[in-house]
Amino acid sequence: MKQPVRDDCPSEYSLARRDFLAGSVVLMGALASSARVVAAPLDASAALSAPKFMEVSSLLIDHKLDGDVGARMAAAISSIHPGIEQDIDQILEIAHQKNAKIVEDFFPDLPEGRLKDTALAIISAWYTGVIVDAPGSTVFAFELALMYQPTRDVMTIPSYAISGPNGWNASAPPLSDMPKF
Amino acid sequence: MANADSADVVIVGTGVVGCTIALEALAAGCSVLMLEAGPRVERWQIVENFRNLPPSLKAHWDAAYPPKPWAPHLETYSEASAGDYLQLEGPDARAYQQGYVRYAGGATWHWAGICWRLTPDDMRLKSLYGVGRDWAFDYNTLEPYYTRAEYAMGVCGPSDPALQWPPIRSKPYPMGPTPFGPGEQRFTDAAARIGLRNLPSAQARNSGISYHDRPPCCGNNNCFPVCPIGAKYDAATTLPKIESMGGVIMPNAVVYRVETGSKNAVQAVHFYDQDKVSHRVTGKLFVIACNGIETPKILLLSKDQQNPNGVANSSDQVGRNMMDQPKIIAKITMAEPMWTGVGPVQSSSIMDTSQGAFRSEHSGALIRMENAARSGQAGVAALKKGLVGKALDTEIRRLAACTGQVTIEHEPLPSAINRLTLSDKKDWLGLNKPNIYYDVGDYVRRSADQYSVPIVKRLIAELGATESEIGTEFAHSDHIMGGCIMGNDPSASVVDADCRAHDHANLFLPGGAAMTTGGSGNSTLTMVALAMKASDAIISQLKAG
Repeated sequence: MKQPVRDDCPSEYSLARRDFLAGSVVLMGALASSARVVAAPLDASAALSAPKFMEVSSLLIDHKLDGDVGARMAAAISSIHPGIEQDIDQILEIAHQKNAKIVEDFFPDLPEGRLKDTALAIISAWYTGVIVDAPGSTVFAFELALMYQPTRDVMTIPSYAISGPNGWNASAPPLSDMPKF
Repeated sequence: MANADSADVVIVGTGVVGCTIALEALAAGCSVLMLEAGPRVERWQIVENFRNLPPSLKAHWDAAYPPKPWAPHLETYSEASAGDYLQLEGPDARAYQQGYVRYAGGATWHWAGICWRLTPDDMRLKSLYGVGRDWAFDYNTLEPYYTRAEYAMGVCGPSDPALQWPPIRSKPYPMGPTPFGPGEQRFTDAAARIGLRNLPSAQARNSGISYHDRPPCCGNNNCFPVCPIGAKYDAATTLPKIESMGGVIMPNAVVYRVETGSKNAVQAVHFYDQDKVSHRVTGKLFVIACNGIETPKILLLSKDQQNPNGVANSSDQVGRNMMDQPKIIAKITMAEPMWTGVGPVQSSSIMDTSQGAFRSEHSGALIRMENAARSGQAGVAALKKGLVGKALDTEIRRLAACTGQVTIEHEPLPSAINRLTLSDKKDWLGLNKPNIYYDVGDYVRRSADQYSVPIVKRLIAELGATESEIGTEFAHSDHIMGGCIMGNDPSASVVDADCRAHDHANLFLPGGAAMTTGGSGNSTLTMVALAMKASDAIISQLKAG
């Protein structure tokens, strides 16, 4: 009979894999800051460059975006959404034509269908922290996922504390006080 | 000193009941061996599992606990997965999709920590209302064990008797209540305007202070699926202490047979390890405390010549009387912010609605506002609307703040037709899966139709709900009770007042399965109180030789 094993963490979440992911993020972050940016662990030919992904993301989302999270998502999104790089080129072209600074400046000009869907998919990835919301899918961000930020002045991001022992009370700011993030 | 083959007390199951008995027995100088079907993991691993779940799975409390092949439990991420282990049938089959995990530490890994006591009337349904059964003893008999359970787990609660439930106590709570966040305060105020009292919950959560080497709650709002800091009691926090006192804990040990011998005493239990190799463990006294489903399953698996219906089953009551509090959920949207998600995921309930002369006709109910943060589901819902930019952020904040969920949990009655049997379907080890027939019964249905849902409609109107969706299907509360029902009559019950099997002098079956009735409140504190009472009997029996 085997000896009882204390470390019975599911292998997909094992420390070894997280170490690998952390290392990957650091590596991709280094690549993203260099002139030779191509982050594509699965399929180099289909890779989307992290700077291009960050450029379109910054136009679609008027918030501070984490470069490491973006690099990881850029590396993965091409294999999930084939042809996304061409979509992004077209979205960028439309945004530049409108001299857009924020999404409201050009989103109505995106044609219904594939381009608009791609734009919404990129926004969704940043807000939810996943490219695909299904069992077994990779989580790129949790506490940095943007959907938790509009309420972060009041509402706890589950498992993270924003106060101390019995340090909360019944008061809350008005809805109109949107946090900056 | 216990070893891997034998001990004074062999305990099957490392949940709150098994661990409570282990600590008591060890403190009394008995050797203890604990057998756990599932794996043993560290807290950080569960926390990482949770944080690495995609958003749609974060609401599935079992998803952070992937089962091992040899110790399956319900997995709710899909219809197919949900039907794989528990075999359910009957008109309310879905209301018995019980969420427990087969991990060392058991289901308290992902409970809310709520510790309501039964009331004196909850224990005398037959005498007072002509329904259900009376318990084998009264509230005054159980009260000292409730107090010991509260001090063992570290239960916080109000010192003002007007806010206690029930206000019949021999000692104060070990610590005061946690504060209300804005949502629970608003719910309390709305309830008061229509004459209902929303009480601070008694909860096994460290309030403002450290207790039993666990830190104070910091409002991480993640009581299920896991408290990341161990401020909430879970049985896993006691495992190192059990070991430090000399107890032996063996994970990945799936008990599948209870062996009886002379005078029908239990001689041994048999378990499979993760390599499907069988082992035999002997002891003086045996405790089966796996939970209300796995315990009767093991007894039914253990048929022998002396016990042709299964161990402890001369009454044919093993596996019958399966109970839970059938739940109805009301989802609401309000014009003004509610703001849940501040503090623990549950901190209060309306309890007065569980009591009254109406119980001769229909069940009472607990009513509660859920206090889990709603930002995640608000984000997903707002994204589905195709919003972008400031409109997206504004909608996420509105949906998170202005939506809520009110829950009704109904008191069940023990009914012989609600029965666990062995399915023909086998698990990975070749053991029969549990099959459960479940019908919430007219007693509960009448309550929902005539009593509980009408109250909640008034309540959510007072909250200022602009939209509401009240569920029409009963759901499970994960409070598994009844399958080894307690009573004084050996022909109509499985265990006696100390949770000792009527049929076997050295076999104890404490926990939810022994509960005679369930009341409307969460069952855990009563399970632990019964474990305390059983512990006294176990220790006394061992010392008497």
